[in-house]
Amino acid sequence: MSTLATHRPASDAAPAAPVQPGPAPSGPNAGNDSTKTGTTAVGRLRRSASLAGSWVWKSAAVILFLALWEFGPTYLASASTRVFLPPLHEVLAAGAELLRTGQLQNHLLASITRSAAGFGIAVVLGVSLGLVIAWYRPLHSFLNPLLELFRNTAALALLPVFTLLLGIGEESKITIVAYAAFFPVLLNTVAGVRTVDPLLVRAAKSLGLNSFSLFQKVILPSAVPTIFTGIRMGGTASILVLIAAEMVGAKAGLGYLIINAQSSFLIPQMYAGILAVSLLGLAVNTALVAAERHFSRWRVAITA
Amino acid sequence: MTAKISLEHVHQEFSVRPARGARNGPAPSTLVALDNLSLDVAAGEFLTLVGPSGSGKTTLLDLLAGLTRPTSGRVLVDGREVTGPGKDRAVVFQQYALFPWRTASTNVSIGLEGSGLSRRQRAAKAREYLELVGLGGFEDRYPHELSGGMKQRVAIARSLAYEPDILLMDEPFAALDAQTREQLQDELLRIWRATGKTIIFITHGIDEAVYLGQRVAVLSSRPGRLKAIVDVDLGDRSADADVRSSAAFVSHRHQVWSLLHDEVQRAQDAGHRKILPDGTAPDEQPLPERSAA
Ligand SMILES: Nc1ncnc2c1ncn2[C@@H]1O[C@H](COP(=O)(O)OP(=O)(O)O)[C@@H](O)[C@H]1O
Ligand SMILES: [Mg+2]
Repeated sequence: MSTLATHRPASDAAPAAPVQPGPAPSGPNAGNDSTKTGTTAVGRLRRSASLAGSWVWKSAAVILFLALWEFGPTYLASASTRVFLPPLHEVLAAGAELLRTGQLQNHLLASITRSAAGFGIAVVLGVSLGLVIAWYRPLHSFLNPLLELFRNTAALALLPVFTLLLGIGEESKITIVAYAAFFPVLLNTVAGVRTVDPLLVRAAKSLGLNSFSLFQKVILPSAVPTIFTGIRMGGTASILVLIAAEMVGAKAGLGYLIINAQSSFLIPQMYAGILAVSLLGLAVNTALVAAERHFSRWRVAITA
Repeated sequence: MTAKISLEHVHQEFSVRPARGARNGPAPSTLVALDNLSLDVAAGEFLTLVGPSGSGKTTLLDLLAGLTRPTSGRVLVDGREVTGPGKDRAVVFQQYALFPWRTASTNVSIGLEGSGLSRRQRAAKAREYLELVGLGGFEDRYPHELSGGMKQRVAIARSLAYEPDILLMDEPFAALDAQTREQLQDELLRIWRATGKTIIFITHGIDEAVYLGQRVAVLSSRPGRLKAIVDVDLGDRSADADVRSSAAFVSHRHQVWSLLHDEVQRAQDAGHRKILPDGTAPDEQPLPERSAA
C-alpha cells in the first residue's frame, strides 16, 4: 500500500484554510491561519489599530458612567440626594477600608462558598438527572410538565418555604441557590441530548457502536456545548438569587453587607458592596463563558 | 460461486402518518419503499445503483448496513442473514457524518476503539488510512477545518480503517463540486483495485454510475423494484485516454439514461416529488451531470 500513500489531494486541498466565522477572532484556532493572513506589516498594523479602536469604543460607555458617578453627585444632584449618591472616590475609599479590615473578604468568601456549594449541587444533579430524563423518552414526557411548572416558579418565591423547612442557616441559602441553578442546567442537558444529529447516530451505529458507546462517544460530546450553556445560565442565576437571599436573613455575605450598610446609613459602604457584587458576577460569568467556548470549539463552524 | 451479498425478495414498507390537518382522517397508511427486490453482488464487485429520487435507494442501503430490517425477504452477506450493523460492512454518507468534536485521526479510528488496539496503534492505523485517501499530514485537523472533499476523504478512511469487506456508499460525492468529484471517483477506483472491497455505490449521476460501476443497477420509481442491470465494459481503463468520451462509455450512458428517463417520467406523473436534505431535487431530468467539457 505504500505506493498509494504518495498521493495527495490537489484541487480540494487549496480551500482548506480554516474559516473562523463568528465574533471570536481570538478563538483557539485563530493561530492556525496566521501564516496566511496578516503576514504583511501593513495588515498587522491595521489590525492592531482597529483592535485598539474597538477596545476604546467598548470601554467608553463604562468610563463615561464612572465619570458621571464621580462628578454627577457633586455638580448635578441636590444636597438631599447627594447623601444617598456618594461620588465614586468615596465608594472606593469605603471599599478600600472594608478590604483593609478584612470585612469585604469575609463577606465575599461567605457568598462564594454558598453559591459554589449550591451551584455545584445543581450542576451534578442537573446534568445527571438531565441525561437520565433525555435517555428515557417516557420519563421525559412524564416529568416535563412538572418541570415546566417548577422552572417557572421564581426561586425567591420559595425562600420562605426553604426558611421554614431548613431554618435561616446555610442550608436554606444553599438550597435556594441550587434550586435556581438546577433548572437551566437540567433543561439544557435534556435539550442537548435530544437535539443530537440523527445522521451522527446513524453513522455511529453503522460503525458498530453499542448503546453505551453511542451515548458516551456521540450523544454526550454533541450535547456538551448545550450543557455548558445551561451551566453558565445556572451560574448567573445562582449569584443573583444568593444576594437576594442574603439580604433577607444572614449574618455574612455580600447581600448582608449591602443591606446592613444601608440600615446603618453607611452609604459608601453599601455602594462598595454593590460594586463587589457586580465584579463577582462579572468574574463568574467571564469564567463560565470561557469554559463554554472552550467546550464548544468544534461547534463554531457549524452554528455560525 | 456464492454471492457476497444477496437480496432475496426484499420488501420494505413504512407506515406514514396522514397529512397534517386531517386529524380524524385516515389511519396511518403504508408506503411501499421496496417491492420484491432480488439482487446478487459478487465478492470484489463494484456495483452502482441509480434510481429516481424516492425509489428506495437509501432504504436499500440501510437494510444492507443493518440499520433497519426488511418487512419481508432476506438480506444475506456471506450467506448469513444481516441482523444489525457489523464490522464486515461500512457506510459512507453523502453528508460525511464526521464527528465534529473529533480530529480527522480520531474520527478515522473510532471504529477501532474497543478492539484491543492501544491508542498509539489506533493513531498509526488512522495515519495509514488517511494517507491512503491522500490526507497524510491532516491528522489533527477538525472537520470544520476541512473542505467538503477532504471531509469525504476522512469519511472514506474511517470506513476503511476497520477493514470491512463491503463498502456501502450513499451518494457520497453528490455534494462536491465537479472537479473534486471526478478526483474522488478516480481515487475510489484506485482504492477499490488496491483493496478488493465489494462496493455498492448509490448515485443519481448517470456518468458517475457508468464510470465507476462494473454493473449499474437501475431501480424503478416508487415502489422500488429492480428495473434492469446494465453490464459496463469500458475496455482497457489503464490507458490515459479520456474514458468518458469513449464510444463504449457514451453508449452505456445512453442506455442507463433511457432506462432512468422512463422511470423519472413515471415518478413525475405519479406526483412523486422529493427534496433531499441537501436541498437538491433530483426529481428533475436525469441529464448528464456535466457537459463533455
Ligand atoms: N423511515 C421512513 N418512514 C417513512 N417513509 C420513509 C422512511 N424512509 C424512507 N421513506 C420513504 O420511502 C421512499 C424511499 O426513500 P429513500 O430510500 O430515501 O429514497 P432514495 O434514497 O432513493 O431517494 C420515500 O418515499 C421516502 O419518503
Ligand atoms: Mg437517498
